[in-house]
Amino acid sequence: MANIKKGAKVADVLIIGAGASGSVAAKHLAEAGIDVVCLEQGPKVDNSEFWGDKPEWELMAQKRWHPNPNVRDLENDYPVDTSESDVNPLMYNAVGGSTILYAAHWQRFMPSDFRVKTLDGVADDWPFTYEDLEPFYDAMDIEMGVSGLGGDPAYPPGKAPPLPPLPIGKIGMKAAEGMNKLGWHWWPGPNAIPSRPYDGRNQCVRRGTCLTGCADRAKASTDHTHWPAALVHGATLITGARVREITVNAEGLATGAIYIDRNGREREQRAEVVIVCCNGVGTPRLLQLSKSARFPDGLANSSGLVGKNLMMHPYAAVSGYFDEPLESWLGPAGQTIQSMQFYETDATRGFVRGAKWQVMPSGGPLGMRAAYGGKPLEEAWGANLHRNTRKVFGRAFEWGIIAEDLPDETNQVVLDAKLCDSDGIPSPKLIYKNSDNTKRLIDFHLERAKEATLAAGAVDMSVTPLMRDCGWHLMGTARMGVDPERSVVDQWGRAHDVPNLYVYDGSVFVTSSGFNPTGTICAIALRSVKHLIAQRRNQKVAA
Amino acid sequence: MSTKLDDALRRTFLAIADVLIPEAEGMPMASQVGVGGEILDRMLALRPDLREAFLRGLRAAAGKPPAAAAETLNRDDPAALGAIGLVASAGYYMSAQVRELIGYPGQESRPADPDATPEYVANGMLQQVIDRGPIFKPTPK
Repeated sequence: MANIKKGAKVADVLIIGAGASGSVAAKHLAEAGIDVVCLEQGPKVDNSEFWGDKPEWELMAQKRWHPNPNVRDLENDYPVDTSESDVNPLMYNAVGGSTILYAAHWQRFMPSDFRVKTLDGVADDWPFTYEDLEPFYDAMDIEMGVSGLGGDPAYPPGKAPPLPPLPIGKIGMKAAEGMNKLGWHWWPGPNAIPSRPYDGRNQCVRRGTCLTGCADRAKASTDHTHWPAALVHGATLITGARVREITVNAEGLATGAIYIDRNGREREQRAEVVIVCCNGVGTPRLLQLSKSARFPDGLANSSGLVGKNLMMHPYAAVSGYFDEPLESWLGPAGQTIQSMQFYETDATRGFVRGAKWQVMPSGGPLGMRAAYGGKPLEEAWGANLHRNTRKVFGRAFEWGIIAEDLPDETNQVVLDAKLCDSDGIPSPKLIYKNSDNTKRLIDFHLERAKEATLAAGAVDMSVTPLMRDCGWHLMGTARMGVDPERSVVDQWGRAHDVPNLYVYDGSVFVTSSGFNPTGTICAIALRSVKHLIAQRRNQKVAA
Repeated sequence: MSTKLDDALRRTFLAIADVLIPEAEGMPMASQVGVGGEILDRMLALRPDLREAFLRGLRAAAGKPPAAAAETLNRDDPAALGAIGLVASAGYYMSAQVRELIGYPGQESRPADPDATPEYVANGMLQQVIDRGPIFKPTPK
């Protein structure tokens, strides 16, 4: 039985998950004077816990601050069964969620991304357009403090980011030279990393350790960009609170959630409205866990689509090696330049949709050794170690390719029959395979990336056709739409089946695009929460 | 409980570390930059997850010729060889001497002037991209 205090306060809104979307929702609800409680299974992270400014950084990056929860193996993470998945999901569970470890590539989708069915005859159109979302993209650029350069011809004309672009470094310049030789698109990449001090955060010092947490308190993680304001305006944030079930009443309305605190006690938090923000894996897991007599297949699942259509953006790469030193450890990391040359569908290529490319720094000498595991001793070690380091380290850059994977109901999140988290709650299992369209897309893009690398003057290169630890982008598992039989939530994130239950994270994506999704997750969360605030007098709640 | 290694295990570690990271190509061997000293204890304290495989490998290699022992571990217990190699190479690349030789200052703070005109703007490189015109498909009517 949950520990329910008699007379315990019923919050106006309960948010489950303090990551990107939950942070945006909490800040705006609290600023509107709404009583909001947020349950987060992880802790608050202090920037002094990060290792980026210490010599041991690379050693700690491979375990404590690894993005794969199965590698980190922390109590505040839940293990994920990936035995039937081509890709490992990556995430972080804490206040700020995965923005603690993300690279902060702050991208917008392109207009075609919202009209894939109309343009390409596959998947579905979104229930809104790029133009509908644009004001919220603009607002999130300011809330996050995005550095970048306006005028990118890959987008319709619009507002420039609020901060000037970060330097692209020698690696960005080298890559851009190659693209210009070929006449291909490139642009300095927008990053949610401030190029000058911004709203309580420091200027980026280009340490290049963004992916393991920013020790310099520069990167825009939402524990810094949104939670301070949310708390000032009265939001309640409860950390170490692992939710095991969303509760409902006899009318089928959400009444709150039962969670387990770090002392192992079950507690209940009641609320008039529940917003789920647990990411594309955690959200379907929680909805599937929330079974009841009224919802025997899980909450909000009359369509049968909760957990289905998982999209994770298969990632491929071409690394080029150059004769001259390029300081390729220097940040931001973060992206230096990007390309959308092959983003839009071209029917002559034999597949639909495309990919965004980006150049990132390659880190220190130890990380570059990771690929040598399992190789013959004389190849990986001995004098060859010194030769490989001399050839590669500081003289390389990578064209990374984010492949758009289309929704497919066979790619899904289900509850695992055996695996549990540290509180005994069933873990998610991922079933995820690349489609033939994705494979053809990646093959094409790798060939073009090789051409771009050679054009930049590389003397050698290596190709990674699919990186297994690449599932940063968790999308599609509670998709939005107009038709309740073919979607889980409406365009405002409201569950078709439960009128006071909302989903704001990447689960609601109809298609994945080929872009890093956090900018779009936040823009959608902002659009949704603004609508919820505006319509609050009409909101149906449990009696 | 002490987390320090005894002298015998430390000697075995250094012998294998010198096989993996020898003096060659103008670079020093692992033992010459102190990977068996305090840094080793610090590595194992920071990464307790490595300790079991690390010690298993050293115990299996004790008393054997280090090159042959490393080959055997790589074949029969790659996790153990991997743990020994990771600890050795992590300590090696943290050495100031090694970093100087490979031209690596570490992940240093090097802020840039945000008001400086980017080189790609000043030299016209980006203008070439702009001149090629829009590449997106607009929202269909």
